[in-house]
Amino acid sequence: MARSLGRWTLYLDDTAVPERSLIGGKAWSIARMRGMGLPVPPAFVITTDACRAYLAQGDLPAGLRDEIGAGIAVLERESGRRFGQGPHPLLVAVRSGAAASMPGMMDTVLNLGIDAAAKAALAAESGDVAFARDTHRRFYDMYARIVLKATLADLDKDAGPEAWRTALAAAGAGAIPATATGQLEGAVRAVFESWNGRRAKRYRQHHGIPDEAGTAVTIQAMVFGNLGRDSGSGVVFSRNPLTGAPAPYGEYLAMAQGEDVVSGKHTPDGLEALNNAMPALHDALLGAAQRLEQADRDIQDIEFTIQKGELYLLQARAAKRAPAAAVRIAVDMVREGTIVPEEALRRVNAEQIRGLLAPRLANGAAARARLVAHGESACHGVGVGQVVLDADAAETAAANGRDVVLIRPTTSPEDVHGKVAARAVVTARGGATSHAAVVSRALGRPCVVGCGDEVLQGLDGRQVTVEGGAGLVFDGTLPVTVPDERDDPLLRQLEAWARAAAPLAVYRDSERPAAAALDLDGLPGGESPENLPQLLAGAKGAAGGALARDAGVAAAVACGLAFIVVPQALPALLAACAARRKGRGVDAA
Amino acid sequence: MRNMHLVLHGLAIKKHGSAEAVAGIVGLEASEVAQALAAAVSQGRAVEAGGAYMLTPAARVSLGGEYSKVYAAQRADQAFVAAYERFELVNRQLKEIMTAWQTVEVGGQSVANDHADKAYDDAVIGRLGELHERAEAVFGPLSAGVPRLAIYQAKLLAALEHAEDGETEWLSGAKIESYHTVWFELHEDLLRILGRERTE
Repeated sequence: MARSLGRWTLYLDDTAVPERSLIGGKAWSIARMRGMGLPVPPAFVITTDACRAYLAQGDLPAGLRDEIGAGIAVLERESGRRFGQGPHPLLVAVRSGAAASMPGMMDTVLNLGIDAAAKAALAAESGDVAFARDTHRRFYDMYARIVLKATLADLDKDAGPEAWRTALAAAGAGAIPATATGQLEGAVRAVFESWNGRRAKRYRQHHGIPDEAGTAVTIQAMVFGNLGRDSGSGVVFSRNPLTGAPAPYGEYLAMAQGEDVVSGKHTPDGLEALNNAMPALHDALLGAAQRLEQADRDIQDIEFTIQKGELYLLQARAAKRAPAAAVRIAVDMVREGTIVPEEALRRVNAEQIRGLLAPRLANGAAARARLVAHGESACHGVGVGQVVLDADAAETAAANGRDVVLIRPTTSPEDVHGKVAARAVVTARGGATSHAAVVSRALGRPCVVGCGDEVLQGLDGRQVTVEGGAGLVFDGTLPVTVPDERDDPLLRQLEAWARAAAPLAVYRDSERPAAAALDLDGLPGGESPENLPQLLAGAKGAAGGALARDAGVAAAVACGLAFIVVPQALPALLAACAARRKGRGVDAA
Repeated sequence: MRNMHLVLHGLAIKKHGSAEAVAGIVGLEASEVAQALAAAVSQGRAVEAGGAYMLTPAARVSLGGEYSKVYAAQRADQAFVAAYERFELVNRQLKEIMTAWQTVEVGGQSVANDHADKAYDDAVIGRLGELHERAEAVFGPLSAGVPRLAIYQAKLLAALEHAEDGETEWLSGAKIESYHTVWFELHEDLLRILGRERTE
């Protein structure tokens, strides 16, 4: 058992891992990593028992305040730092954590423990005044947003706490407690209160989680990657998340905090830089990545910090991966004997395969073409058509069977019907988060944004090709190719497993069987999955229409069809396997 | 007709909308809106095709000229304008959340979200719920200035709850009253009320 600090709190050491229901998912994963002997910053947890007591009596239970003090004292001892004091100030991260992750629970508050004195100490220790000031400001911003739920403009980074307090008061939010201890208590209360927020309550009701389960609060020492040449931060993947190649992949930035690695302000180095500077830590890191991958049987994404020559793992989770990597890792892991084919089919979805098989510009076509505009990529894909500058014109042209590309200065709700009608969308102003970008992605329309106002002149009526992924607009109609799933040995392997597991047969258009298939393309309403139960009644096989979507394939499975005919087999096979698992209750909805 | 401005305003936002759709965002009875739209068609201010209406170009221009008079009080109301400015701050975060829903960073590159990572998707929906709670502090003063704006708040909550229940097309679906669709319409409504320009 992790070491008890009293009635309500546990220190997470490397002894046995306590129950998830008592300490929550976050603390559980820290305890598990410590149990594996992996280096994790010291942490203690306020258990779900304390949450239940708090909610029952509307206040912190007797003794909890002292136990939090005792927990902080352990973190001080373990880290050699002092909470809210120099010369080496201890800052902590406060996280909510129920047994199962749940929406509506309080977000993480970082850098708690910083005040004017701690800021000065941190500036002296790191030799970086701007860093200390920025840490102070970010703490204010997070506390205001997350604990006090204030909507604030960005706090002025050159101003001090007085000005920030004024901004906070102007936004109508409560005040930030004056002392670090008071701030910590405020954050703990906010975590407990979030258990009864609208979202958390709804979620529990929907998922049958009892209201008495409660949430834990994890309090963990923060580590610093910017305390000298033997410090730094980075991220390591146990395999390559872009290609799936079975070699570690990562980034490292010496003398930097984790957020510097992801901010894009600095260009991180590869892991060789760490290997050159501190080879023993590099090897320990890769060893940890291997062990975590084996324990979880999936590719890991691990954030780490090195503080004065000590390695700390901050977080490890299953990595997000590009579609090509998802395919390769799933197939490789079966071949390595780590997972079974059934699991591989679960790890690759139809949408990923559709992305891999989407039409693209023919090889070399872009190199020979004339570029007429370029901007930021907002939605991948290739679209070809004649330029129109007005949403109504786009709709009229499309109704007459013409392919058009809609170019607008910006877009408003008035333009949505034009985007539906167009093959691609281009805007003069705005970035990858603009309304135009959001709507284009929702519609799956290739989209390039922020091309500059000159894009509105000279292109009207011209034939163009939009390469959404690269943010380029070319003159004329460029050749487009569709990849063939049969050309890729990894896709062929997945297909073989999927055929063995799928509840119906899937044929490619080019390999149509002799048996008659109901042609959904020729039926009114055949493009909507919700019409299929009616349309498919009594049929043995079907082709086209809504079968291009997962919901359509699921309907075909539910209707007990023997076979379907589609352009490419693997997306439909994976959708059919998913529908079968859902039907058997193997996968949650 | 007393509510003609409001109906045409609703049609400017719900372009290609039916009488019901327009009624749904401006808070009038569908029968009254249908009447007003029929009158607008006969006056050459709107055109109708298959039950869906559209403003004529001339009506669009004259509607644009009416806002400063209709909403003079709101434009002079400091609390309303301040709430709008806070809305713009939240708007930036909303667009970031929608982008996070649709695209993900993989090893430093942005790719389409294939929704294979349920924990990631749940976290994005969680961020949207958190944003909604903070936005409620902005909706209050906005509806105090223009009571019909409360309709958007209710529609946003409905879309959020659909998304939270796993019907994820309600986040950014472009053809339904998804969270993004309603937010986008509310934004357009506010820009018109205050006579501001869209920046992107």
